[in-house]
Amino acid sequence: MKKGIASKIYTGLVFAFLYLPILVLVLFSFNSSDSTAVFEEFSLKWYKELFTDGATLNALKNTLVLAILSSVISTVIGTAAAYGISKMQNKHLKNATMSVTQIPMINPEIVTGISMMLLFVFVGTLVNSSSSLGFGTVLIAHITFNLPYVILLVLPKFKEMDKHLPEAARDLGCTPLQSFFKVELPQIMPGIVAGFIMAFTLSLDDFVISYFTTGSGFETLPIRIYSMTKKRVTPDMYALSTLIFVTILVLLLLSNLVSDDKNKKEKSKKSSKLTKILLGSSFGLIGIITIIVLCVSAGTKTLTLNVYNWGEYISDGGEGSYNVNKEFEEYYEKLHYDKTGEEVDVVVNYTTYASNEDLYAKLKSGAGGYDVIIPSDYMLEKLKKEELIQPLGKVNDIKEVIPNIKHLNSQFSEMFVYPNSDGELELYGAMYTYGVIGIVYNKNMLLPEDLEKIENGELGWELFYEKEYLEKYKGQILQFNNSRDAAGTAMYYLGYDVNTATKEQWEEAFKLLQEQKPYVQSYVMDEIYNKMEGAQAAIAAYYAGDCLAMIENSVDENGETFLGFFYPTKGSGEDKIYETNIFADAMCIPTGSENKELALEYINFMLSEDAAVANAEYIYYSSPYDHVKDNFDYKIYTGLYEYIYKTDENGELILDENDEPIHVLDKDGNKLYEATEDGGDYAVIYYSEFENSLKEMFAKYAYKDLDTAENAKISTSQLNTYWEGLKIDSASFGNDVYIICAVILGAIIVFFVYSFIKKRRQRRFYWNNTAEPKKAPANNAPDADAMSETMTIAILKAQGREKEQNVESKKSPTKKAISKTLPITRTNKALKVTLPKDYFKRK
Amino acid sequence: MNKKSILRQAAAYPHIVWAILFIIAPLIFVAYYAFTDKEGNFTFSNIASLAEASYLEVFLRSVCFAFLATVICLVIAYPVAYFISRTSPKAQRILIMLITLPQWLNFLIRTYSWMALLEDNGIINSFLGLIGIEPIHMINTPFAVILGMVYNFLPYMIIPLHSVMSKIDPRLYEAAADLGCNPIKTMFKVVFPLSRSGIISGITMVFVPSISTFYISQKLGGGNFDLIGDTIERQFQTAYNYNLGAAMSFVLMILIIISMAIMNKYSDEDGGVIV
Repeated sequence: MKKGIASKIYTGLVFAFLYLPILVLVLFSFNSSDSTAVFEEFSLKWYKELFTDGATLNALKNTLVLAILSSVISTVIGTAAAYGISKMQNKHLKNATMSVTQIPMINPEIVTGISMMLLFVFVGTLVNSSSSLGFGTVLIAHITFNLPYVILLVLPKFKEMDKHLPEAARDLGCTPLQSFFKVELPQIMPGIVAGFIMAFTLSLDDFVISYFTTGSGFETLPIRIYSMTKKRVTPDMYALSTLIFVTILVLLLLSNLVSDDKNKKEKSKKSSKLTKILLGSSFGLIGIITIIVLCVSAGTKTLTLNVYNWGEYISDGGEGSYNVNKEFEEYYEKLHYDKTGEEVDVVVNYTTYASNEDLYAKLKSGAGGYDVIIPSDYMLEKLKKEELIQPLGKVNDIKEVIPNIKHLNSQFSEMFVYPNSDGELELYGAMYTYGVIGIVYNKNMLLPEDLEKIENGELGWELFYEKEYLEKYKGQILQFNNSRDAAGTAMYYLGYDVNTATKEQWEEAFKLLQEQKPYVQSYVMDEIYNKMEGAQAAIAAYYAGDCLAMIENSVDENGETFLGFFYPTKGSGEDKIYETNIFADAMCIPTGSENKELALEYINFMLSEDAAVANAEYIYYSSPYDHVKDNFDYKIYTGLYEYIYKTDENGELILDENDEPIHVLDKDGNKLYEATEDGGDYAVIYYSEFENSLKEMFAKYAYKDLDTAENAKISTSQLNTYWEGLKIDSASFGNDVYIICAVILGAIIVFFVYSFIKKRRQRRFYWNNTAEPKKAPANNAPDADAMSETMTIAILKAQGREKEQNVESKKSPTKKAISKTLPITRTNKALKVTLPKDYFKRK
Repeated sequence: MNKKSILRQAAAYPHIVWAILFIIAPLIFVAYYAFTDKEGNFTFSNIASLAEASYLEVFLRSVCFAFLATVICLVIAYPVAYFISRTSPKAQRILIMLITLPQWLNFLIRTYSWMALLEDNGIINSFLGLIGIEPIHMINTPFAVILGMVYNFLPYMIIPLHSVMSKIDPRLYEAAADLGCNPIKTMFKVVFPLSRSGIISGITMVFVPSISTFYISQKLGGGNFDLIGDTIERQFQTAYNYNLGAAMSFVLMILIIISMAIMNKYSDEDGGVIV
């Protein structure tokens, strides 16, 4: 009794362990704030939000369509294959087929994923397709890894089937087809259903393989979750998970209850009825979804625009903001209708990346098919050089193609303009934003003396690289997780010019990074949001706009933010030196775009006042467009209201007695708007400091691409090699794990040696007394092949031999004897496959 | 007859063609990339560069992590599977259903929610704070990564163990008891040898995904120590160095095949696991 309780408690603990994170997930799906760490109050907000989150719903639809298609196809091919394999006479062919079939089950997922990716990329370059990766490739990949499971679940059914049944059916006048459908199919149906469900669930849950084989715009739910977990998971994803969880729970409980009822009533018909229900419902589901998909695709002409952007780099409609993509869809549909009288369905397929390098790798891998991308200046130059992007249009008539580009501040008119072979100037990118790299810090975690230094402008990258500060903030520092920017910050600290530095200087920078590594909490890109907003790190280097967004998001109950931001500078006035780089991002059209006209229309829409202001307000980067900066709402939003001055009817400033411009005041003479402690203040400095000298700033502080810049002494791949060295180095990693491993391994070896010796002794003793039971029944097996051999052994043993052997084992209950008596150990040969069948059948 | 059987086995041909195109051919590409440089010339330098101390350490670390995760999974799962297998069939069905239920939620999001639990100011530490215990630093440590592995792959260990144990003839327990074994002795002397094939397949099903994971180490390890999966993923997704990535995958594949072979050798007497 006591032991019973102990084991119950133990099992309960294990269950608690399994369900703990799910509990957290369910709990926070009801949280009123978007924090996934602090629970504020109960709210259903995220469930509502979920149904307006087009991208998530789209990903869900993709996932379902993919899972259904891949499981149906693999069930059909797999069942046929199982039939064929069971009929194979040539043993070598059979063995070879079976071994190859099992490869995807044994291989780590990542290897399967990259191997398929390499194949698709190769085929893509062979047929010179710009978009070799996409829905098709993911589907092929899913079918490939589903097939083995289907085959290994169906095959045993063919083997179990009585060979004489089809013959009997034929004797009774069935045609071969009839006998197959009436006699054979019902027999193997449980296997097929189990295979189908297995394939469906595997496909539904797969992340790794889809991740490597997907291309433009095709995003499944796991991939979406992955890109979300990089930045921050909005709780609507938790809400969706909760819904899925509850649905599955209810379904499973119901099927358990149903099968329980049946158990009592009619045991024999149970499985076939359940099979029918399952089969019926799954085919019904397939039917419905196919119809929906067909309806959607057949009804109106669909235009899909694949936009590939940085994470959180567009106003996406979250929390009541302007939904740029949705507005564009409506805008274009109307525009198209007005122009042609034809209805069209526009879908913006919006996916995100975390760094320029990710974008580059994706484009290079042939995952083309993107229509609009937003790279940074240096990457744009590299993409242009490698002809991965195309010109938006000739500079002379660009205003006809993208009318809204007329608002671009004249300082930038020469950016991203390159001459073509005829000497005509072409524009390759419509500027989106510009910004700098700086340091975001937590005011509560930094020591007062350091805060003061920051406020006085006395502290720069020292905070990041000097031993004194590293020791102070050990484990609270976040570093860029990309070679270029991480090395860049080290170079600024060292005072080297990133564009002309020598190899030795770069090596010095990486040495510095190496020394910094033990103090770094983690290398992050988008993950920085969670870490800084959640006060898990004290200092981090990142891009200005994102830092401001974090500041905005980290306001405490008093309306004060606990984060601050600065970028290191030296000197002042004319001699001011910026120890950072300035960058600009621009919208481009990749070479493979199949919808350039729509892409241009999208770019133009992004630059229209409403969309551009909404984006600028949402992402906190500075806009190079005059109509954004002059927008009244934007001025108030960013704190630029300080620049809302009284003007006369000619637009000239009205000055006061001290020749200062006069603020717009309300009728009581107060300033109309009060300054707030958020990103606004910074935006003022940002604009006022850079505004008039941006052209020079870019000339001076742009961080060029190492491969295309004239004076660069090392290449990007060289930089990556250094970075690789830094990443795989594990200075911060203790030896504990190795020691524990060695101890356990030692213990296991000692145990095996001990039991081996013991066994040898026992066997010698045993050998002298009785003859070991041999694997005799194998010869009597009616079917010579391995699977049914084990089956036969099992049956034979279960029927007769067992008794006799039990007696034997009672005589000498040594380990050996028992393990030899039992048939089960052999029947479980294909255990890896039989287990899912087992638990699905049960339900 | 012969003609007919050839006709019948033709049903397997679509699959065979599929397997050649999408299983064999991709693996040939992995080998091709592993042994060529960026220009496509044959070279051993990719493989050779993996012999550098730092890469060797990545491999060693991955093996260690996966090994520890597997051992812990086995230790935790064994009594659970045993306990479940001794309950009534109905209870067994429900308990196993409950074990598999979390697997229906995407593992990414479950791992992510562990982050919320393990953070320095996360749920566990706030709870500890309430009862007056100093916060423990857990996230970004090897402990967190191994915990993530154990959490994600524990069901893969419990299920094969359970499906073997549930097939053990209950009369054997009686026999053992008759012969004077106490329950613990029964477990070691009777159940353990009989569940060997379950142990072996459980070990494979935990070890292989553990050694190749990259998501868990990225999230719970903070990217501070690379595992093989991280290094491979970076070559393909960011660094754009397919050749090195392919070389690592190639070596990983060999590593797995070798360990499977060793496992098979050990389980030979019992009929072997899948391969």
